[in-house]
Amino acid sequence: MADDVGLDARLKRLEEIVAALDSDALNLDEALALFEEGVSHLGHAREMLARIELRVEELIGPEGGAVREMSVQDGGDDGGTDGG
Amino acid sequence: MNDRTLDLFTERAPPDSGVDGPPETREPPPPRVWTVRQVNRASRLLLEEGLPRLWVGGEVTNFRRQRSGHCYFTLKDEVAQLRCVMFRRDAARLPADPDEGMTLRVLGGLTLYEARGVFQLVVSRLETGSEGGMWKLAFDRLRARLDAEGLTDPGRKRALPDFPRTVGVVTSPTGAALRDIVAVIARRAPWLRVLVRGTRVQGVGSGDEIADAVSTLAAVAGMDVIIVARGGGSIEDLWGFNEDAVARAVAMSPVPVVSGVGHETDVTICDLVADLRAATPSAAAEAVAPDRQWVAKRLETMGRRLGRGLTGQVRSRRWWLNQLRDTLFRRGRRGVEGSCDRLEAARQRMADSVRVRIRREAGRLSETAAALDALSPLSTLARGYAVPLGLDGRLLRGTGDLPRGRNFRLRVVDGYVPCAATGRPLEAATAANLTGGDRGR
Repeated sequence: MADDVGLDARLKRLEEIVAALDSDALNLDEALALFEEGVSHLGHAREMLARIELRVEELIGPEGGAVREMSVQDGGDDGGTDGG
Repeated sequence: MNDRTLDLFTERAPPDSGVDGPPETREPPPPRVWTVRQVNRASRLLLEEGLPRLWVGGEVTNFRRQRSGHCYFTLKDEVAQLRCVMFRRDAARLPADPDEGMTLRVLGGLTLYEARGVFQLVVSRLETGSEGGMWKLAFDRLRARLDAEGLTDPGRKRALPDFPRTVGVVTSPTGAALRDIVAVIARRAPWLRVLVRGTRVQGVGSGDEIADAVSTLAAVAGMDVIIVARGGGSIEDLWGFNEDAVARAVAMSPVPVVSGVGHETDVTICDLVADLRAATPSAAAEAVAPDRQWVAKRLETMGRRLGRGLTGQVRSRRWWLNQLRDTLFRRGRRGVEGSCDRLEAARQRMADSVRVRIRREAGRLSETAAALDALSPLSTLARGYAVPLGLDGRLLRGTGDLPRGRNFRLRVVDGYVPCAATGRPLEAATAANLTGGDRGR
């Protein structure tokens, strides 16, 4: 699977692979191939987990409109969630 | 009173205008005739400036909301009526129209509508006596309608995705709610993409903006879940989230919506229609963002299971191989055992046949031995014959073999006698004569 595969898809595929490996319906080559695929998913998923910079963007304009990076500061204009 | 008001009143004819001359000789001055407009204006100013803004309590009747947005109604008690108007600007903030006969208290200023000469109270705030007031009334009404339509049905609520990739957020772009949400997601699941659609979150028209933002975000490709959020506030502040448009946008959203509006105690229509109600914006973010630790743990488990799975595959094959080997071995041994039996039988047969053969051969041997015995010179020797043999063991047959002086051996029946030829050999006839002659001497 490509790099843009979501965590969801990877975990689902991993579940499938693990289930397949637990069954007897594989030949050894298939089992090895599945194992390798599983290891690759694990690697990508761990990489994803290791990311630390959250991407926040603002959708401006009409539907399908432009998106721009947004920085959300810690200091606010209304102090606490009591504000807007 | 302002200057204009003073002007109006000073235009009035002085009551003592006849002092300057005898009344009978003077034409009475024509009475000052007011225009209607002047009267109404004077009355209006008297009313507006003579009385402060008042809270007035009464029972509402004939409440009408015009297309223009202005609302007209009458307040009454047992004996009197008061016409009231609430202009669009204030009426727009009114969450609902009051029911006929409802007891209200309104804040307003008295005035006179000059064009019609109608005395009325211009209402800026309208409240019911009960707690929550008009807001609660409107809330209950909308809720009843949404309940009837099934939009608040728990069965409609969709599960949130376990692992979203894109999270939409509808809130004020500058508010604390957004900061709280971003902080939570950054801590728990920083690999997510957060797409914010900024809106106003209070004031007239905020409901439409919120509804629009929900629909817009829901239409973004790849959107997994939407958070609608706002920090706490009064019911009036939160009103945008209690509007019909918001309820419908949330209900229509093709992706699940989490509502995190206000504090724990604030329940909005948006909360009721959303797929999940979170007590606060932070709680909404927590509900949406999978926890990094949890995911890591799950991956770890998965890795272990993967390893175990492959080991299991290998182990099952090894087991299988062992089984196979054992089976083969057993079968092989059975084969060998069979062969051994056959071999043993063959050996037995062979041994038997050899024995028979040996016995037969032995028989033949003894027959031969007997025959040989018959041919043996031993019996002849026993009869008194002797056989001369050379020292080399060769049979000495005639006189030619026994020249004078030759040593030889005589084989007699029980042994060998060393001998020597002492004379010249004689012919057989000569020897016989000699023997006779000797005997004759």
